[in-house]
Amino acid sequence: MDKQLILPYCDLYAACLRDESRTVGHADSVSFPRSEDEVRQILHALHEAGTPVTVQGARTGLAAAAVPRGGHVMTTGGMDRVTGLRQENGRFYLTVQPGVVLLNLRKMIAKREFDTAGWSEASLTALEAFRTAPAHFFPTDPTETTAAIGGMTACNASGARSFRYGPVRPHITALRCVLADGQTVALRRGQHFAQGLHFSLPTAEGGTVEGDLPSYTMPRTKNASGYYVAPDMDLLDLFIGSDGTLGVLTELELALSPLPRISWGATVFLPDEEAACRYAEAVRSQVKCAAAIEYFDPGALDILRQRKAQGDVFATLPDLTVAGDGAAVFTELHCDHRKEAMAALATLGTLAEQCGGCADRSWVARTETENETLRHFRHAVPESVNSLIDQRKQAYPTITKKGSDMSVPDGRLLEVTDMYRRTLAEEGFQYASWGHIGNNHIHVNILPRDMDEHARAKELFRRWAAVVTQMGGAVSAEHGVGKLKAPFLTIMYGEAHIRQMRQLKRLFDPKMQLGRGNLFAVEDEA
Amino acid sequence: MRTIVCVKQVPASNEVRLDEKTNTIIRDGGEAVINPFDSHALEAALALKEQLGGTVAVLSMGIPAAAEMLRQCLARGADEALLLTDRAFAGADTLATSYALFQGVEQLGDFDLLLCGKMAVDGDTAQIGPELATRLGIPHVSDVFSLECSGDSVTVQRELGGCVQTLRLPLPAVLTVTRELNVPRLPSIAGVLRSETVEIPCRSAAQIGADEAQCGLKGSPTQVVATFLPQRTREVVELTDTAALLPIIKGGAGLGTGD
Ligand SMILES: Cc1cc2nc3c(=O)[nH]c(=O)nc-3n(C[C@H](O)[C@H](O)[C@H](O)COP(=O)(O)OP(=O)(O)OC[C@H]3O[C@@H](n4cnc5c(N)ncnc54)[C@H](O)[C@@H]3O)c2cc1C
Ligand SMILES: Cc1cc2nc3c(=O)[nH]c(=O)nc-3n(C[C@H](O)[C@H](O)[C@H](O)COP(=O)(O)OP(=O)(O)OC[C@H]3O[C@@H](n4cnc5c(N)ncnc54)[C@H](O)[C@@H]3O)c2cc1C
Repeated sequence: MDKQLILPYCDLYAACLRDESRTVGHADSVSFPRSEDEVRQILHALHEAGTPVTVQGARTGLAAAAVPRGGHVMTTGGMDRVTGLRQENGRFYLTVQPGVVLLNLRKMIAKREFDTAGWSEASLTALEAFRTAPAHFFPTDPTETTAAIGGMTACNASGARSFRYGPVRPHITALRCVLADGQTVALRRGQHFAQGLHFSLPTAEGGTVEGDLPSYTMPRTKNASGYYVAPDMDLLDLFIGSDGTLGVLTELELALSPLPRISWGATVFLPDEEAACRYAEAVRSQVKCAAAIEYFDPGALDILRQRKAQGDVFATLPDLTVAGDGAAVFTELHCDHRKEAMAALATLGTLAEQCGGCADRSWVARTETENETLRHFRHAVPESVNSLIDQRKQAYPTITKKGSDMSVPDGRLLEVTDMYRRTLAEEGFQYASWGHIGNNHIHVNILPRDMDEHARAKELFRRWAAVVTQMGGAVSAEHGVGKLKAPFLTIMYGEAHIRQMRQLKRLFDPKMQLGRGNLFAVEDEA
Repeated sequence: MRTIVCVKQVPASNEVRLDEKTNTIIRDGGEAVINPFDSHALEAALALKEQLGGTVAVLSMGIPAAAEMLRQCLARGADEALLLTDRAFAGADTLATSYALFQGVEQLGDFDLLLCGKMAVDGDTAQIGPELATRLGIPHVSDVFSLECSGDSVTVQRELGGCVQTLRLPLPAVLTVTRELNVPRLPSIAGVLRSETVEIPCRSAAQIGADEAQCGLKGSPTQVVATFLPQRTREVVELTDTAALLPIIKGGAGLGTGD
C-alpha cells in the first residue's frame, strides 16, 4: 500500500461507530478511501485475515446496517465525485461515486453545474447538450437528503415520490462493485442475466462468481427486505438492496428523468384513518398524475398542533386550529399541462367529499412558497415527534421512538391499518403514524413513555411482522433490514431461505467479511 | 366589512442583479410572486371577513401577467380583483404609483379598511401605503403586527424601536402590515377551481378616468441620476510578525474598510 489507508481506531473516529438508529458499535480500524483503487487495496489487505468489514455511506441509516460490530469500518463518504455524463436516445445518465450526497446531487442537476475535472470529451459534449435540454431531476426522494447514493443503493431507498417513480432501483443503470477479495464486478442493466435461478458472473480480473439464487418469491409490494431475487433476473438488481453484504459499491450510473413542468400538492382532511385509507385508494386508482400519496394520522396532527402552539420554527406552520381534524392525506401531482393538473385537482376535491372530507377545507400548493409551506408541514411531523422523544430521554436516556417500515399489497390497506389500531389500543401505546399510504406503507411510530413500553413496542412489531408476512407484505419497505430488523427477515422468509441467502453471500464473500450481522447472523454467530 | 388589499407582483428571487454595462435591473422573466408582505395583508382581510362578514377586493398595478397573481388571491378567498395595466403606467415612481392605485380604489367603491404590505421587497420604499392614505384623506398606521377590528374602528399594535404602540383608528383607514401579523392560508381545492374560470378585470388609465399626466413616467417627479453596482473590496494581508497587527487594529495601515 502506497500510503497508510488503514488506520487504527481511536476516539477521533467515534462518529464511525453509529448511524441514525442511535445504535453504537465498536471497531478496531477505519479507512476513508478516495478511489476504487484504494477500496481494492484496503479490501485486499484485510482479506487474508478475514477481518470483518462494515461499509458506510453517510450513516443516516435507521437499521444499524452501517454500525460495526468489531473489525474494520470503511467509510465511502469521501468518494464524492460526479465522474461523467452520457446521453443516449435523448436520455441522460450520470456516473457518480458512492459518497455523493443526495442534497448535492440535486443541486448539481438543477443548476447543471458539475466539477468536470477529469471528465472525458464525450462527457463534456453530453454536458453541453444537458445544459440546453429541458430540466431534469433524480426522482428518488428519501426525507433524509444527506444520505449518500451508495447507501441509498445498498438500501434500495425510497421516498414519497416512489409511488410514481419506484424506489432507487429502476434509476440505477450500471454499477461497479469491489468484492471482499479485491476482485471487481462491473454490471450494466440488460447485460448479465441469471438462467432461471442459476447465475455466472465474470469479474474484471478474469474470475467468475457462479452459483444459485435463493428460491423465495419476493412480496409484490414496495420492498427493501433481503436480496432481490427472481428467476432470469438482471444480476445488477442483486446488488441494489444488498445492504453492504456482497461488496463495496464504487461507482453508480444514474438515469435522470425529465422534470415535470407542473408539480402541485394538495392536502385534504378526512374524518378518520379509515376514511383516509379509502380516499388514498380512490386517488391511487383515479388520479393518473399522482406522484406521491402521503398520510398523517390524527396522532401526528395532534403532536403538530401542540408544537405549533409552543412557537419557534413550528409557528409558521399553516393553521390546524379546528380540533378533531382527523387525518390528512397529501397528494403530489406531476404533469406537463395545467389543464390536466386542474382536472386532477377537481377529482381530488370530489373524492375528498365522497370520503367525508371537504374541498373547501383543504390546502393546495402551486407556487414555490406554497410548496415550501407543505414541505415544512410534512417535515415538521417527524421532527416534532423526535423532539417529544428527546424530552422523554431526560427521564429514560436510552428510550427511542419505535418506527415500523412495513408494506402490504394493494387491497390490504384497510385490513392492516385496522390491525395496527386495534393492537396499539390493546397495548395502550401513544403513537403517531405517517408515510406512504399510496404504497400501503405507513410508518407507525410508537412513542414509549417508559422502558417497559419500549420493550413491548419491539415485541408488538415482531407480531406485526408475522401478520404482514401473512398478508403478502414486506417487513422493511424502504429503510433496509440492517441489523435491527434481521429477526423480521427470518419471520418473513423462514430459516431455509435465510440459509440460501447466506450461501449466496458466501459465493461473493467466502469469508463472510462484509456487513456481518446485516440481513442475517453469520453462522458462527448464530 | 369591506376590505381592499393592494398586492404587488415581485421577482421570486430577492437577488437583484444589475446589468454591469447598462446598470439597469436584469428582469429576465424569472418567476414572479406576490409580494410576501401583501400575502399577510390578504390573510388579515380574509380573517376579518370570516369574523365580521363582508367582502375582500384585491387591487394591483402591473403587467398583464399580474392577473395570475390576482387569480391566486381569489383562490385563497378574495371576492373581487382589479388589475390596472397600461403602458401609460410604466416608469412610475411612488407618487405616480399611488396616484394610479388611488384611482383604482375609487373604482372599487366604498371600503372600511385598505391594507398594504409593510413594503415591496423589490422597491423597498414603504411609501405607497402612507401616500394612498394621504390621497384618500384618511388615517393610517404602518408596520402593524396585530390588529383587532370592531365594525367601526380598528385597534392595532406596532413596534417602535423597542416599545409597542397600541392605537385605535376610526374606519375607514389604511394599514401596512408585517409578517408577524399572521400565517397566510393556502388556497383550497374549491377556491382554486372557483378562481380558475373568473375573468380578471383589467383596466387602462383611460378606463379608470386617470389623468395621464399624473401617471407613469410623465407623472413621476423622481429623477434617477445614476445607478451602479456598489464596489465591495476585501483584502487579505498575510502578517509575519505581530508588530504589524497594531496599526491595523488602530485602523491605519491603508487597509480598505470595505464593507
Ligand atoms: C430523518 C430520516 C429520514 C429518513 N427518511 C428515509 C426515507 O424517506 N426513505 C428511505 O428509504 N430512507 C430514509 N431514511 C434512512 C436512510 O436515510 C436511508 O436508508 C439511506 O439510504 C441510507 O444512506 P446512507 O448513505 O446514510 O447509508 P449508511 O447508513 O451509511 O449505510 C446504509 C447501508 O448501506 C451500505 N452502504 C453504504 N455505502 C455503501 C457502499 N459504498 N457500498 C456498499 N454498501 C454501502 C451500508 O453498509 C449499510 O448496509 C431516513 C433516515 C433519517 C435519519
Ligand atoms: C423614476 C422611476 C421609475 C420607475 N419605473 C418603474 C417601472 O417602469 N416599472 C416598475 O415596476 N417599477 C418602476 N419603478 C419603481 C416603482 O416606482 C415602485 O416599485 C412603486 O412606486 C412602489 O414602490 P415600492 O416598490 O417601494 O413599494 P412600497 O411602497 O414598498 O410598497 C408597499 C405596499 O404598497 C403596495 N403596492 C406597492 N406597489 C404596488 C402596485 N404596483 N400594485 C399594488 N400595490 C402596490 C403593496 O401593498 C406593498 O406592500 C420606478 C421608480 C422610479 C423612481
